[in-house]
Amino acid sequence: MVLVIALIHARPDVPTVTLGLLLLVGVLLRSRVGPVRASLDYVVHIALFLLSGPAAAVVVSVLLPLTQDRRLPLMRRVFNGAQAVLCATAAAGVYVGMGGGRRAEVLESPGRALIAATAAIIAWLAANALLMCLVLWLDHGATSPLTFLRKVAAPTVLPLTGYGLLGVLLAVVWIGGLGVGAILLVVVPLLVARWTLSLYQAERDAQAATMRAFIQVIETKDLYTRGHSERVSTGVGMLGRHLKLGEDRQQALEHAGLLHDVGKVGVPTRIIQKPGRLEDFEMDAIRLHPARGVELIGSIPFLEEVKSAVLHHHEKYDGTGYPAGLSGENIPYFARIIGIVDAFDSLTSTRSYRPARSIEETLEILHADRFTHFDPNLVADFVQVIRAEGWTAAAADQPAPDGTVKAGIDHDDLSLGTSGGASGSAAGPTES
Amino acid sequence: MTDPETSVPRLVGSGFVILLAGAVLGVSALGVTIRNGITEWQYALAFGVLIAVGEMVQFRVDSSRNRAPIATSAALGYALLRPPEVGIPPDVAQVVAVTGLATLAGVVPRMFVGLRWDLVVSCRRVLSVACAAAVFTAVVPGDLYWSGSAAHTVALTGVMLLAVLAAATVDALIGAGQATETLNQPFPSALRDEVVMAARIGMAMGISAILLAIGTSLIGLWGLPLVVVPLLLTQFAFRRFASARRTYRTTVRSMARSTEIAGFSSPGQNARTAGLAVAIGNDLGLRPDRMEALEYAALLSGVGQLALADPSPGGASLLRTRAERQHAAEIGASVIERSGVLDHVAEIVRHSNDPYRQGRANNSQIPVESGIVNVALAYEQLVGEGSGQSPEKAMESIGLGIGAEYDPVVVESLRRVVGRGFRF
Repeated sequence: MVLVIALIHARPDVPTVTLGLLLLVGVLLRSRVGPVRASLDYVVHIALFLLSGPAAAVVVSVLLPLTQDRRLPLMRRVFNGAQAVLCATAAAGVYVGMGGGRRAEVLESPGRALIAATAAIIAWLAANALLMCLVLWLDHGATSPLTFLRKVAAPTVLPLTGYGLLGVLLAVVWIGGLGVGAILLVVVPLLVARWTLSLYQAERDAQAATMRAFIQVIETKDLYTRGHSERVSTGVGMLGRHLKLGEDRQQALEHAGLLHDVGKVGVPTRIIQKPGRLEDFEMDAIRLHPARGVELIGSIPFLEEVKSAVLHHHEKYDGTGYPAGLSGENIPYFARIIGIVDAFDSLTSTRSYRPARSIEETLEILHADRFTHFDPNLVADFVQVIRAEGWTAAAADQPAPDGTVKAGIDHDDLSLGTSGGASGSAAGPTES
Repeated sequence: MTDPETSVPRLVGSGFVILLAGAVLGVSALGVTIRNGITEWQYALAFGVLIAVGEMVQFRVDSSRNRAPIATSAALGYALLRPPEVGIPPDVAQVVAVTGLATLAGVVPRMFVGLRWDLVVSCRRVLSVACAAAVFTAVVPGDLYWSGSAAHTVALTGVMLLAVLAAATVDALIGAGQATETLNQPFPSALRDEVVMAARIGMAMGISAILLAIGTSLIGLWGLPLVVVPLLLTQFAFRRFASARRTYRTTVRSMARSTEIAGFSSPGQNARTAGLAVAIGNDLGLRPDRMEALEYAALLSGVGQLALADPSPGGASLLRTRAERQHAAEIGASVIERSGVLDHVAEIVRHSNDPYRQGRANNSQIPVESGIVNVALAYEQLVGEGSGQSPEKAMESIGLGIGAEYDPVVVESLRRVVGRGFRF
């Protein structure tokens, strides 16, 4: 209905037509940034408010579904179109209500036009967020409306409002006499903005890919630990999401999980691959690996938490771990998280001297050792997470356990008093 | 150790000239402005504040020079103002004086807080802005303004583009001269890099300046936020990108150090090799993207050894036979390839141990960077820590391998680099 009224009021003038065309090629103005589609095409609509009036902007928003990815289902595209019409209508209402003029009126009272346009942009974004929330609420999907507001809507509202001003600029330059040429000028900052928004993500992805590749090299030293770091990273990621860490810390935690054993590069391969029981001096060499890891990643500007987690991931809750013998809450938070997932993954993967344990069995071991080795609260959380989400165990390409090996211990296989397994120096300094 | 990110470029020569020119220009412009009186002080103040703020929030991407896009756009925009909103447009002297004073006002706080600052780069902006202002006022007749008529606006925009272009040209020439002096890059390739940079970032800054000038000329100071707010957002996004990039670079460097921790190479060996490789690359005038791949390749050339057995106590000396080294290079390349983002680097590492005669001499597919890494590794082994030969002696040994083992072009370049006093 809104659309019909708008159609009656709109006149097909030059701005409407050209900017409508611009929208059609507006794929240019979109970029995929993480999970959010950062779409800058509403900038064009904002310009239309000032140039041809709100009705034109509403009409043009009908074109939006045409510009969308053809792979999207038709229903989805129609819905997006309807959403754009409603957003445009809300914004139009606010623009007119705030007394924003058009064409010559803009140049005469630029202040009022600017304020009205800013309010219209905010109204647009608010309407958009509301509609999205409504859909998510009806959908009962994986993302809740609250998560959407917190993770997507809130962080983008300021930048999107700011970039909306480019629409006002486009209109001003157009009205000032440059006409269609204004598009040529304003498209440059828009493209730069889009480019910049995509750069960051690319760099982060490159970083993650490079670290993964590197970790894989280090793991070539030991067939039995292949994929361990990746799995620990996944595991701490799951636990981190359960603990509702912020975006930055979640990322840092996953990095720390990936890098926790990076110091193994300094442990002689001979020792890592040695089947059977390790001599004390060999165990000492292995105990150095957290410090080596920090030495290696120390200059990377990670959050401090990443480094402290790498250094202390073998501390135990009762203070018998290494390298510093910290206990309880003195062990850095991330290190406590990683300690649990590290042990969990070690126990559920094959070792040269034993087959992989089952997940249930392992969770019981963690539970039994929750005061001696682990943070009891975090163990409870972790058990909950694994029970709810499941766990993809170590890849099948691990070698079968070596039947000839009678006793032996891996550095992170720290099981564990009552539940059987290793004891003594392998599980840390003996209490004396 | 020459680290491109931390080494202080020798700026005594051109830097001093630029500073002197900037100072003379600034002081005389200030004198003229004081004598004539300032016109439209609100605009001078607003743009001055913008320039100063832009200068304060400047940033760097890698080792390339400081960027202050907001300051540059604002200064250029101020030079291009015309009526109706601006009654009397600023004359050239006033533009230079405002830009100079505002730039100083922006740099001084950075000095006190201990942030990175570079007066020479800021001075270059004053010079190029002066040039744009001169071109603009020289070409635009006094009665040409934003009247709303199509002919006027098109003419004005055209001249604005011309002025911005002039500023970019001056800046590129100065920049290329500086690069030639500090990095020993050949002038044509330095100029090429500067022009490429001007076409990308420079164009965006220039267009923003034009938009700023048009907007302000039409709706007065209301025009400023329309350009500056999006520009500021873009700059924040770009800074975030720059810091992610720095993290990435240090990650690669750290990973390269893993061979040292594992005992495959002596401490600092990778960094020394990379420093030399970069110096040779600059001397040969490689493009910036290739320079980056070259540096990474030199850093990571030993990574393949990690997948081998343990080193003997002698460290790197273990890997002396050709077959072993080529095997390690092959493994290293496949490791680097696995990341999926460093394919060029992998290609360089793959051939970094090929002898010239069996490799590049017949196969033009192999990049020259492989030859550079090969020579840099050899020179580092001879002169670097522990082995301690004199550079002359090392050059002699490497010279014996010209054509068979080493690429003659690269060895010639190494000779120049060492001759200019390159030290680890």
